[in-house]
Amino acid sequence: MNEKVAKLYGERLNRYMTALDCGKPDKVPVSFGIGDWIVKHTDNNFQEIFYDWEKSIKAVDDILPDFDVDVFGGGPTLWWPPMWDAMGSKLYKFPGMGLDENSTFQFVEEEYMKAEDYDAFIANPTEWIATTYLPRISTEFENPSSLRGISALIRSSVAFSEYNNYMGASWGKWTVEHGVVGQFTGMTKAPFDTLGDALRSMKGILLDLRRRPEKVAAACEVIVPHNINYALSGAGADTRFPCFAPLHRGSYPFLNPYQWENYYWPSLKAVIEGLWAKGKRTYFYAEGDWTPYLEKIAELPDKSIVFDIDLTDAKKAKEILGGRFCLIGGMPTTLLTYGTPEQVKEQVKRSIDELAGDGGFILGAGGVVMGDAKKENIMAMLEAAREYGSY
Amino acid sequence: MSEKEKKFVPEPGTCTPWKVKMEELGGIPGNEEIVKKDWERLDEAAYNFLWFWVHR
Repeated sequence: MNEKVAKLYGERLNRYMTALDCGKPDKVPVSFGIGDWIVKHTDNNFQEIFYDWEKSIKAVDDILPDFDVDVFGGGPTLWWPPMWDAMGSKLYKFPGMGLDENSTFQFVEEEYMKAEDYDAFIANPTEWIATTYLPRISTEFENPSSLRGISALIRSSVAFSEYNNYMGASWGKWTVEHGVVGQFTGMTKAPFDTLGDALRSMKGILLDLRRRPEKVAAACEVIVPHNINYALSGAGADTRFPCFAPLHRGSYPFLNPYQWENYYWPSLKAVIEGLWAKGKRTYFYAEGDWTPYLEKIAELPDKSIVFDIDLTDAKKAKEILGGRFCLIGGMPTTLLTYGTPEQVKEQVKRSIDELAGDGGFILGAGGVVMGDAKKENIMAMLEAAREYGSY
Repeated sequence: MSEKEKKFVPEPGTCTPWKVKMEELGGIPGNEEIVKKDWERLDEAAYNFLWFWVHR
């Protein structure tokens, strides 16, 4: 890393760390990632960007010199499809493989875990995942003792390792060449989401809350130490950056207040507190609206989360969580798609005026920036952040 | 799968902990730490691979 880049990296890192600890840095830190909105600004289609990591990395390399952010959220793809293809995974459809080559990915939600699987899962979840779940979600691994099944597992685990190594090297390159500071290390989930997303599905888990609520509670309790471990392991030894926690079913009004307080929150709180006890902060990626639950979230240990504002009432989040937890957001993702650069700039000014006052605030898009976001709006956001963001 | 294997519940972060392997082996002639270090690292990788599929 040359001297100029090292200085830039140091400034950005200091801004991020100061805000995470609810302090006031020299400028309002700006956080943003490169979503699949970038695809239309390359010579590639979605399939090429998803499958060919050289092209995916190049898309990032090309824009980073003009991308003035303190905290970088990563490249355009969440996963490398060959790892999923190797298993014949039913969980996703990817561009060019089940979907049009110019479409983004889709999750295929099914009850991959049956209601009658609860007892086996609760008794020994890792065993159940290996011997029941994986064969059930993988057409290539339906018969684990066959050559086809064994080779599928080998292919996919090699791909898992290759991709992790390649991404690690890419982040190293971006840091050295562009002074990039990453947003988080490791990931975890709310145990209720682990159960409700890829295992029981939305329909399944909502029925379970009526028909077998004690099983839901028991399963969530069993998942807690696994989700703590998964986050810490994925982060290596790092406790400086928060771990990413995309939160789904806890958004209002998926669950009623009783269900939220009794079945969603206790195990999520246990994961966050468990991570905090190890010195690891959680990036509370509160997709959707969490306004009714802000008082409960405020029960968490000071600074144990950074709260991402998507559709949550930003003023209430500031009022209830501000000063004790860092807040991130201020730019509705819909405005990046449907707004104009002028409207985006006005929003940046308004958000900084309302939320940044005494520090502990990072400007960013709340929630996922969709593929139809306009590049000119994103660049206007970054420009306005620097214009209005000095303390 | 043996009954013993069926009843065994691995701790989070493990599939086949080293202590289980050592019980089966009843000891090794060489330096245990040299073998254990990589066993545990690769076992954790296997665990992470398995749990990856439920953490979409």
